[in-house]
Amino acid sequence: MNSTALAFRFLQRDWRSGELSLLAIALVLAVSTVAGIGLFVDRLQGALLAQSSEMLAADRVIASAEPTPDAWRAQAEALGLRTSATLGFTSMVFVRDTSQLVSVKAVDAHYPLRGVLIVADQPFVSGTPTRSGPARGEVWVDSRLVPALGIRLGDTVTVGVAQFTVRRVVISEPDRSGGFFALGPRLLMNVADVPRTQVVQPGSRVSYRLLLAGNESTLAQLQAALAPDLNARFRWQSVKDDSPMVGAALTKAQSFLLLGGLLGVLLSGIAVALAAHRYSARHFDHVAVLKTLGVGPAGIRSLYFRMLAMIGVSAISAGCVLGYGVHEAILVVLDRLVTVALPAPSFSPFLLAAGTGGICLAAFAVPPMLMLQSVSPMRVIRGDTAGDPRSLRLAYGAGALGLLALLLWYSRSLLLTGMILLGGIVIVASVLLVAWLMLRTTRAVGMQAGSAWRLAMAALRRRGLQNAVQIMVFSLAIMLLLVLTLVRTALLDDWRKQLPADAPNHFVMNILPEEVAPVQLMLRAETGVTLPLFPLIRGRLTSVNGVPLADWTAKHRDESAPAPPADNDRNLTFSNVLPGGNRIVAGSWWAADEQSDLVSLDEGMARSAGVKIGDQLRFSIVDRDIDVRVASLRKVDWDSMRPNFFMVFTPHVIKDLPATYLTSFYLAPTRKVFLNKFLVRFPTVSVLEVDALIDQVRSIVERVTAAIELVLGLVLVAGALVLVAAVLSSLDERVREHALLRTLGGSRRLISTALAAEFTTLGACAGLLAAVGAELSVYELETRVFELTSTLHPLLFIVGPLVGVVIIGAVGLIATRRVLTTPPVIVLRGS
Amino acid sequence: MDLILCAEQVCKSVATAAGELVILQGIDLAIKRGESVAIVGESGSGKTTLLGILAGLDLPTSGRVLLDGAELSALDEERRARVRAERVGFVFQNFQLLDSLTAIENVMLPAELRGDQDALQQARGFLSRVGLAERATHYPRQLSGGEQQRVAIARAFASRPLLLFADEPTGNLDTRTGARIADLLFEVNEATGATLVLVTHDVKLADRCQRKILLDAGRIAAQENALPEDAATNGAGAARR
Repeated sequence: MNSTALAFRFLQRDWRSGELSLLAIALVLAVSTVAGIGLFVDRLQGALLAQSSEMLAADRVIASAEPTPDAWRAQAEALGLRTSATLGFTSMVFVRDTSQLVSVKAVDAHYPLRGVLIVADQPFVSGTPTRSGPARGEVWVDSRLVPALGIRLGDTVTVGVAQFTVRRVVISEPDRSGGFFALGPRLLMNVADVPRTQVVQPGSRVSYRLLLAGNESTLAQLQAALAPDLNARFRWQSVKDDSPMVGAALTKAQSFLLLGGLLGVLLSGIAVALAAHRYSARHFDHVAVLKTLGVGPAGIRSLYFRMLAMIGVSAISAGCVLGYGVHEAILVVLDRLVTVALPAPSFSPFLLAAGTGGICLAAFAVPPMLMLQSVSPMRVIRGDTAGDPRSLRLAYGAGALGLLALLLWYSRSLLLTGMILLGGIVIVASVLLVAWLMLRTTRAVGMQAGSAWRLAMAALRRRGLQNAVQIMVFSLAIMLLLVLTLVRTALLDDWRKQLPADAPNHFVMNILPEEVAPVQLMLRAETGVTLPLFPLIRGRLTSVNGVPLADWTAKHRDESAPAPPADNDRNLTFSNVLPGGNRIVAGSWWAADEQSDLVSLDEGMARSAGVKIGDQLRFSIVDRDIDVRVASLRKVDWDSMRPNFFMVFTPHVIKDLPATYLTSFYLAPTRKVFLNKFLVRFPTVSVLEVDALIDQVRSIVERVTAAIELVLGLVLVAGALVLVAAVLSSLDERVREHALLRTLGGSRRLISTALAAEFTTLGACAGLLAAVGAELSVYELETRVFELTSTLHPLLFIVGPLVGVVIIGAVGLIATRRVLTTPPVIVLRGS
Repeated sequence: MDLILCAEQVCKSVATAAGELVILQGIDLAIKRGESVAIVGESGSGKTTLLGILAGLDLPTSGRVLLDGAELSALDEERRARVRAERVGFVFQNFQLLDSLTAIENVMLPAELRGDQDALQQARGFLSRVGLAERATHYPRQLSGGEQQRVAIARAFASRPLLLFADEPTGNLDTRTGARIADLLFEVNEATGATLVLVTHDVKLADRCQRKILLDAGRIAAQENALPEDAATNGAGAARR
């Protein structure tokens, strides 16, 4: 016989009769979930990285206060990386008798390597992108400088001792954030003009940046080659170091997408397993008849393998196409948000999706099919002859192995896979036990109830193990959905909290002590709030417990500490109240009138320097040595847009030292002109505008949020499919039983009430268990993976069972409605 | 003598919680090519088990079964299936049509499994022979019990069997329909010249066979051409009278 043609004919007939639909849908969904998520994440991640790189104007930056060695640039170029060197310094710009402190950035012809420079011919307009920076002899200026200096394009300005023509207005530059040294409005010039200004002298504070762009592996290669020379003097920066908030958002989003994709695949896998099990169970008689017609075990195996292969190839192809469509549709929806050109989709998501489909099929669908080959032909006469139990063990074994392979492939971590597996085993075992106990209880309750409930409870009890397994599947599906929804909500809330609409977007620095009151007054008139001003004193830590810092840290340093080294000049402050957004993690905050010489350190920095509570620290501030004792360690929210400090002293220690003050406030974009008035009134004060940075961060977070919502949606569909598959898996038996009841005189009302009672009880039990499981898992995930503050969700214990009752009740009743509409004789004859 | 089916000292027992349960004991029988034989006996006498073993659906615990020269009891499942494919047809009490296939598709199955190109034409021929040409595209659930059994008979003969096994072929049908099905079965059997082995409670149906074998408690109690009419229903005692 031509097995392939026969398999194809059988498949066509199965498809026509609807036997195949569930299996095919489950498989298509598994593949399209993976392909869709994979493609979307692949392209979006590329786009996000590209866009995030724009914040650096490069993929990586080597930042330093001294010129980067020329050899490094040559080495980078030899490796095929693109490079560009910039330097930044503050200087005065003069026009006739007006002057203004500006933040100069000198760039070469290659700047920017990532992102675009937007310029215009007049201030405060939207502008157009340009390919390269200013030519020699010209400068481009910030919009704000135009009215501040009273200049027009074509005018001449003086920087240092050199004269320049103002050619253009800089509307935005990709790497505007640039830290606290970017004081004052921007002035862009050609790097070749810098010597002519004579501003940069030995000892000048200059920020040198060597921009690098290229593929990740080459960048890593360069980083490894330069590693011995990269230290505090030359800092290797990626967007994650430069913008911790974006870095954290990206990492968390990646974890979420990974988790979502994983859950989506697991759910689809369970759906495939259930559908395949039902498909093969319905084929037991089929196979027994084929065997009486002379098809041997090998023939059955070959026939069903060919059928599975055909299902697999079609479902995987359809899934890939659908996945591509889904991701394209999402990109259309996100069109407004995705402003950067997306990289072309790579082939790997399709490979991953096809592989997942193959594994799903092999692990979940092949074993039940294998059981078919051992079906005894005596089944045609005796009906009850079951398949070989060894096949069943093989089925479970293969399913578990397949699951393991999928987890491992997705997480690429043996530890995570092990954790999930162990968690899964614990959950499955405890849910089975609890479900069985619950069913016993419902039986006891049912005996006291009316006839419909008694019927329902008896039915639940009769298929005790089967129902316990079903509750487990239901609760697992509901739990995964609840977990994903809760984590998503927590994640988005966390981001929203970090970036409220009125997050401060301007920092004011260099406020002299005598200016504190008038600055506070003027800002209050504009913003309507009294802003706290923080004193700022520059100083550096020199020794710990009498040991020079370098020696001490060499011995005690915690390499894993997420903080910069403690030996640089730092901004120090004093306060008798704990700064907002700070939390004490060790020791205690001092009393308002504390007279001891104390300091409170950022926890990360303390770990990085190997410093503990009670240690004696010596600081060099201005020209004095100051000794203090570590009184507390603080967890500082560095992602917040507030002024934050590594070191806070008790006021009496340093309050008499020369300090300047710092504050931050929110100014709507439409009220920017206030800055000119403010700077005219306080000319020595510097204003740092961070709204561009905040906008960038916000747009990245919005995009990531959209991606998360999408993944959640796909996983919800997968979850719903599992529920349908699970209800259908026990449907045949329920339909037969209730048809029998109808022949015995059971009214439609009795049967429908009994069915409703049965399914809602299953749903409620599953929902309750899911709520417990979700609460525990969410706690673990939030605290260990996403580093969020975890809270209890009492509402879950209402929502969980409600979801279970509504979904399982509805799916169950819809699926079993043919019990009520089909004449019982037809159902019984069919059996 | 041209024998198509031989059983020699066939025994069948199964292990149960209560110990070993003997279903068949020392069965010896020989069936000639073209003969029609009825196996009768009370419920639980081992008729169906014997049919299964004779047809190669099941294996005896001991003893031999030879079907057209092939020793079934020495063959593995794969080779027994080949013997069935080439030489055996079945008609069952509960019809055993595949729900997802139409009447014509059910009848096409044996020819399709053989790889015949004209499976459809063959099936059409068999369906019209059982008078169901008009119902070819109906699904089993849309057919009456009698019609379903007719489709099953068409399928059985589509296997071109040398040996046709029928397990209570009229057991699920009313008397009238049963009689019509029996007519059809014997008629087609005669036309094809196949050997018929029939398991039945129905005395009239058994009487239409050339030979009857009475089973009692797993043993052959009587085996003859002319069996007293009440033996089939009253058991071995009646047979011995």
